[in-house]
Amino acid sequence: MKWGLYLLGGLTVILIGIQFVPNELPTVETTNPEDILSSGIVSEDIAALLKNSCYSCHSNETVYPWYSYVAPSSWLVAKDVREAREELNFSNWQDYDTMDKLEKLDDIAIEVGEETMPMGIYTLMHPAASLDDFQRQNIVEWAEDAMDVVLEEEDEGED
Amino acid sequence: MKKIFFLPALAIIGFLFFQGITKPEPKTEFISHEIAPDMPPQVKAIVEQKCYGCHNAESKNEKGKKKLDWDAFEASKRAKQIAAKGKILEVLENGDMPPAKFLENKPEGKLTEEEVATLMAWSKSKKN
Repeated sequence: MKWGLYLLGGLTVILIGIQFVPNELPTVETTNPEDILSSGIVSEDIAALLKNSCYSCHSNETVYPWYSYVAPSSWLVAKDVREAREELNFSNWQDYDTMDKLEKLDDIAIEVGEETMPMGIYTLMHPAASLDDFQRQNIVEWAEDAMDVVLEEEDEGED
Repeated sequence: MKKIFFLPALAIIGFLFFQGITKPEPKTEFISHEIAPDMPPQVKAIVEQKCYGCHNAESKNEKGKKKLDWDAFEASKRAKQIAAKGKILEVLENGDMPPAKFLENKPEGKLTEEEVATLMAWSKSKKN
């Protein structure tokens, strides 16, 4: 019994203590002129899917839930968002060069098709972000087609 | 007795903490040897000798096949090929291929500097 109290007390102290460890959540920007949605390669339907299932990590428009302000979950959120934006940031889409765009679209098709994205832990916390088979198929087909569009644009630019 | 729970709890918190810390960017040196990019036969020779063993449609190395299948590459559309080239370039820049583990048993499989340069020049180009 006594040990139980010590344990609880110890954990509480640790939990309070870790709140003071500095942790920086990636910043939120709502104005993103280079966003993929203004690039002309995304239809309205696809835009809605991307916004709903991808944008919270893969854009500058992250919506942070309450637990992103409480350690230790805040550390995980910060890490995931930071890494997600490094890998693919829809808000900076038009700054990517053609090869990067093609790589990223190819990865979108693969990862969404194989159901590795959105990540399981994310849809567990945000069930509304889950994609059904039809929505997945739509994103995969869009990404495949968008690759050709991006390449055509590049070829036209070279002529 | 219950002290025993402290350690795993501490370990988990410690793990999360280190996950949260920004990792320093690995520095990659960019090699820019000027080798004519229009030499697919030479590229093909390297690929066949050093990559194809794992990266082919019949490969028993599932991960290798999934990441890059040269048989599928040849048949795929241009946009897909360029995307694959971008990924190949990245792997070459990081020196990740062939994997270190593979090279332990087969050191002769290592890409020479010249081969890396040839592959990099090719993978940077959006032509064939």
